[in-house]
Amino acid sequence: MKKILILTLIAAFMISMLFLGTSCKEEVAEEEVAEEEEVAEEEEEVAEEEVAEEKTDIKIWYYWETLMHQESLDTVISSFNASQDGITVSADYIPFADFKKQLSIGVAAEELPDLVIIDNPDHAAYAAMGIFADLTAELSSWPDLEQYYDGPLGSLTIEGKIYGIPFGSNCLALYYNEDMLESAGSEVPTNWDELKDVAEKTTTNGVVGFGISSLPNEEGTFGFLPWLWSTGATSFEINSEGGIKALTLFKDLIESGGMSKEVINWTQGDVMNQFISGNLAMMVNGPWQVPTMRSEAPDLNWNVALIPKDEVYASDLGGENFAIINNENVSKSLEFLKYAVSVEQVTEYIDKFGYIASRKDVAETQYTDDPIMQKFIEQMQYALARGPHAKWPEISNAISNAFNEVITGVADPETAAANAQTTIDSILE
Amino acid sequence: MLINNMNKTQKIHKKVNLGVLFVIPALIYMLVFVGYPIISNFILSFQDVTVQTINQPDKPFIGFDNYIKFLGDPVLVRAIINTFLFTVACIVFQFVLGFALALFFNQKFTLAKPIRGLLIIPWMIPITISSLIFKFMFTSNVGIINEMLKAIGLAPIDWLLQPRIAMIALIVANIWIGIPFNMILLSAGLTTIPKTLYESASIDGANGAQSFFKITLPMLKPTIGSVLILGIIYTFKVFDLVLVMTNGGPVNSTQVLSTYSYKLSFSLFKYSEGATVANILFVILFFISLIYIKLFFISDTMDKR
Repeated sequence: MKKILILTLIAAFMISMLFLGTSCKEEVAEEEVAEEEEVAEEEEEVAEEEVAEEKTDIKIWYYWETLMHQESLDTVISSFNASQDGITVSADYIPFADFKKQLSIGVAAEELPDLVIIDNPDHAAYAAMGIFADLTAELSSWPDLEQYYDGPLGSLTIEGKIYGIPFGSNCLALYYNEDMLESAGSEVPTNWDELKDVAEKTTTNGVVGFGISSLPNEEGTFGFLPWLWSTGATSFEINSEGGIKALTLFKDLIESGGMSKEVINWTQGDVMNQFISGNLAMMVNGPWQVPTMRSEAPDLNWNVALIPKDEVYASDLGGENFAIINNENVSKSLEFLKYAVSVEQVTEYIDKFGYIASRKDVAETQYTDDPIMQKFIEQMQYALARGPHAKWPEISNAISNAFNEVITGVADPETAAANAQTTIDSILE
Repeated sequence: MLINNMNKTQKIHKKVNLGVLFVIPALIYMLVFVGYPIISNFILSFQDVTVQTINQPDKPFIGFDNYIKFLGDPVLVRAIINTFLFTVACIVFQFVLGFALALFFNQKFTLAKPIRGLLIIPWMIPITISSLIFKFMFTSNVGIINEMLKAIGLAPIDWLLQPRIAMIALIVANIWIGIPFNMILLSAGLTTIPKTLYESASIDGANGAQSFFKITLPMLKPTIGSVLILGIIYTFKVFDLVLVMTNGGPVNSTQVLSTYSYKLSFSLFKYSEGATVANILFVILFFISLIYIKLFFISDTMDKR
C-alpha cells in the first residue's frame, strides 16, 4: 500500500512538472521578448562604447606545432597589440590533423575566427566555400603586392581575385648522404636515369638508395608532383606521356630495390628519420627539416641538390597563406595582416621558421651564408603551386591513388594513369 | 488544475501504465541525441553538400542520387566485402579461441583466476595504442614478425604493403584485441551452470564431450547469443584499428565502411557522400540488431509465458 502511495506521489510530481514545463515555456517566450528589447538597448550601448574605445578583438587560427614557430607568431602579435590601441589580436593553436575539420565545422556552426593561417593547397577550397574575404580591391593600391612571387600569390588567386596574402614558402629538394654516394662511386644525380642508377648502386645491406613520402594523401601527392611536372605535364594530365613516365619511374625504383615499398606509410618526418639514421642514401624533403637534422645528426655528411629532372626542373610550393574570414572585422584584420607581412616583421621571423619569404625583397636577403638554404632558394624558382582548384583534395586523392597502385604493384602505370584521369576528368567537368 | 492532475494520475495508475512515465526521460534523451543525428544524417545523404554548398542556406536536394552513384562504386563494394570478411573472420576466431580459453580457465588449478584476469589486458588497452603496436610489429623492414620469420629461415612478408595481406594483418590484430571480451563473457556464463549438473552427468557415465554438448552448450545458449551479436556489432563498425594501421590502404584495399565514410567526409569534403556510406552501414547494423531482438527478447518472453 505504501509503495502505491509513493508511486502515485512520484507520478503526480512528474505530471505537474510536465505542466510546469508548458507554462514555463509561455513565460520564457514572454521573457524572451523582454530580453530582446534589453539586448537591443545593450547593443546601442555597446555601439556607443565602441565609438568611445574602438577596441576590436581579432582571433587567428593556426596549426604550427613547433614551439619556435608559435613563439615567433606571438612576438608579431604582441608587438602589433602594443603598436596601436584599437585592435587586440590573439591566436589559437589547432592541430594540423584537425584543422580542416575544425574549419568545416566552424563554417556549419558559424563560429569562425577572423584570420586563418592555412596550408596553401587548401586555400582555394575554402575560398570556394565563400568564407574568405575577397581582398582584390583593398590590395590593388597596396604597393607591396608586386614584391610577391608568382607561385605563392597564385595559390590564393582564384579567377583573378585575391583571397589572402602569402605567409612564407618552402619547397622540396633532393638530400643526399655524401659518404654513401662516395663509397658507391656515384655523382649526385641530375636526371632520372642517373637517379635510378645511383639509387640502385647505393642500395646495400641495410641501406635503401632513395626515399620519398608517398602516403595516400596530400603529403604523398606533394612528393609526387615534382616528378609529374618535370615531364612538362600539369597536375590535371596524369594520363599523358609524362604522367605515365613519372609513374614508371616509381615502378622502376621499386623493382630495382632502390626504393622501399614502405614509402607508402612514411610521413616526411619518417623519411627524414630514416635518412639521419643512415637507412637512406637519398631523400626528397623540405627545408623545415634542416634545423632538426643539424641538431639530431651533427656528424652526418649530407648536402642538398635540385630534384633530378626529366624535361625541366620542378618542385612544388609548400607553405602557408594568411586568409581573412569574411565577417564584419575584415578591415581590422587587414590592418593587422599588413603589419604582419611588412618587410620589418617578415625579416624578423621568417628565418626562425626555416621558410623562404614569399616576398622578393626579403627572400633576397635571407640565408646569404647558408649554402643548404641557398639551394632551396634556387629550387624555389622552379616551384609550382598545387591546384589552385576548389576540389583540389579530390584531385590530389586521385593522383595519390595512382602512385600508390603503382608502388604496391596493384596496377601498371598505364592502367593507374587511366583510372586517375577518369576521376580527374569527372571532377573538372 | 490540481484536481485534473489527480484524476489523470489515478487514470494512469489504474491502467498500470506508470512505467511509461519513467521511460519519458530516457525517451527524450534518445530522441535528441540518437534520433536527431540519424534523421539529420539521412537528410544530409539526400542533399548535395560539399565545400561549395555547405555555407549556403538552401542545400540542393538530389533525392537518391548519392545512393545511385554508389551502386557501381568499386571502393564501396570493396568496403562492404571487407567489412563482412573482417567481421566473420574476427568473430569466428575470437569466439573459438575465447571459448577455449574460458573453458580452460574454468578448471580449478593454481593461478587460474589471476591469469584469466591478466588476459583481459588486451581489451583494456586503448585500441589506438594496440593498433600502433601492431603496425610496428608488421612493419616490413624492422618489424618483429618479419624478424622472426627470417630467424626461422622464411622469406619476410610485406604485411601492410600488399593489398590482400594487409587485410589479414588487420584481422590478426583484431582477433588478439577481441579474445578477452569473448573469454570473460563466456567465463561469466560458465559460472552460472550449477556444478551439480556435471556431477550427476558423470555419475550417469557421460564423458567430457557429452557433458560439453549436452550441458555446457545448451546452458550457455543465451550468453553465446549475446556474445556473438555484441561482437558482430562491435566488429562491424571497426574504425580506429583500420585508421591507425593502414588508413584504408594500400590503395583502398582495407577500406571498411566506417573509414570510407570518414575519408569521404573529412579528407575529400564530400559530406553528403560520406553520410550516404554511413547510412548504408547504419541500415546493415539495424537489421543485425533486429535479428538480435527477435532471437533473444522474443524467445525470452515466450519462455516466461
